[in-house]
Amino acid sequence: MLLEVKDLNIEFHDHLTPETVVYDFNLSLKEGEIVGIVGESGSGKTMSALAIAGLLNRKDMKKSGEILFDGKDLLTCKRSELRSYQGNDISMIFQEPMTSLNPVKKIGAQVEESLKIHTNLTKEERYQKAISILNDVEIKDPESVYHKYPHQLSGGMRQRVMIASAMILEPKILIADEPTTALDVTIQAQIIKLLKKLNKQKKTSILFISHDLSLVRTLCHRAIVMKQGYILEEGNIEEIFEHPKEAYTKQLIEAIPALEL
Amino acid sequence: MTIKKKPNYNFIIGSILTGLIVALALVSLVYTPYDPDAMDAANKFAGISLKHPMGCDNFGRDIFSRVMEGTKNTLFVALGTVAIGTVFGILLGAFTGYFGGILDEILMRINDAIFAFPSILLALVIVSLLGSGKYNVMIALGIAFIPSFARIVRAEFLKNRELDYVKSARLMGAGSLRIMFVHILPNTFSVLASSVMIGFNNAVLAEAGMSFLGIGVQPPDASLGRMLSEAQTYLFSTPSYAFFPGLVIILMVLGFSLLSEGISQKSV
Ligand SMILES: Nc1ncnc2c1ncn2[C@@H]1O[C@H](COP(=O)(O)OP(=O)(O)O)[C@@H](O)[C@H]1O
Ligand SMILES: [Mg+2]
Repeated sequence: MLLEVKDLNIEFHDHLTPETVVYDFNLSLKEGEIVGIVGESGSGKTMSALAIAGLLNRKDMKKSGEILFDGKDLLTCKRSELRSYQGNDISMIFQEPMTSLNPVKKIGAQVEESLKIHTNLTKEERYQKAISILNDVEIKDPESVYHKYPHQLSGGMRQRVMIASAMILEPKILIADEPTTALDVTIQAQIIKLLKKLNKQKKTSILFISHDLSLVRTLCHRAIVMKQGYILEEGNIEEIFEHPKEAYTKQLIEAIPALEL
Repeated sequence: MTIKKKPNYNFIIGSILTGLIVALALVSLVYTPYDPDAMDAANKFAGISLKHPMGCDNFGRDIFSRVMEGTKNTLFVALGTVAIGTVFGILLGAFTGYFGGILDEILMRINDAIFAFPSILLALVIVSLLGSGKYNVMIALGIAFIPSFARIVRAEFLKNRELDYVKSARLMGAGSLRIMFVHILPNTFSVLASSVMIGFNNAVLAEAGMSFLGIGVQPPDASLGRMLSEAQTYLFSTPSYAFFPGLVIILMVLGFSLLSEGISQKSV
């Protein structure tokens, strides 16, 4: 098993009374697998994902449980060890391609960032790798995009750039937190296709977070349904769609517009 | 689609004025018409002429040469002041803004306390401890300027550290220092640039003020503020003695202000 999350609880301590936002979260992710996390907004999807990515290390929050990556517990390992996984083995892309790129740095530098941190490649080698990954995410004319600033690109292009910079070291896990929510429908479909392709080609496991069940159905092998911090049900994608156990899941499925792309 | 913008007159005029003043100072490094300190009794209070375009002072020194020299010294002090203020302001603002916590609380309270004093008053205190002279003035004003820069930088860091691009950088395994100085700092430059210009402005005025009071740049070094103070006595007999240094100060301050306005207009 590549990633195993056991009984993860996340508590905020930044108010007078502690507030638990994720209860007993369990997840396992095999190599090459795509698992979806669905649920209404506020159900704790992002918090779980951030915890797995090792991004929830504020002092005012408490996490318990285990996040085992290759057998190593990311919750208790040293900061330096965690950092050596981040970018290298685990990457993440966010919802807003507008804000997830640094506005004052060129695309090339941002795509190469992981290489600068984790490798000793020369400038020329980094450039070659950047161009090749920009090609992989189907950006036309990567040589010119390399020298552009984020504001010169469209939302869809920016999200491709984000995927490129997350994928450049071919991580074992890519966490995608609502990567298409801010994009319009046709671009959404393209990004989903791209994720599928990367998963096939590079054997990257993907944790795909969305509140859009139809996207989850087209992309994922398995899915987890969350509500108010709890996992309601999980299982094979067809099983969940054909025979949902929970009333809430049924509601979510019924809410999908009967429009097929 | 490109929207045609109105030309940024503030920026253009500010650049020209600042450019002229800086050029004057740079030329003074290699050439002044006369030795700025050479006294010539025959030319005492000489009027404006081709040989002495701004006339001569009470010692018969060429005012134009002294204005050039004074501009150089004033700019030099301003540059040093702003450099000290920005470097330490950035360090302080970056660490407090990025890490927050108890260190932030303590440093920012100290900052507020320093900020509460008018910077020239604070500089006076420091100069009285260190002694006068242009380097001490630089240090004194520099220290007095740190809090305002620290505040600006801290606010920018507070804002930026929550943004997704910082999260992505952290996620790629970037360390705190790399995030602070490679990722966030460049995002503060546009705000910083305009406050650096305001800083120059205040530094020029503060240096002139301190030299005017006799605790800034010391003779024989010329300084615009010093010249003004020396010219007081002869204000009615030889108004050009006070007029030209004053004019240069005004143009300098105007140039920096316009430039600062222009920069903040540009970055919108
Ligand atoms: N600083 C905080 N303090 C307390 N609760 C928080 C804080 N930040 C987020 N939450 C809560 O955590 C819950 C889960 O949020 P999130 O994981 O972002 O939901 P989702 O991604 O599923 O929309 C929400 O109910 C939200 O209100
Ligand atoms: Mg979310």
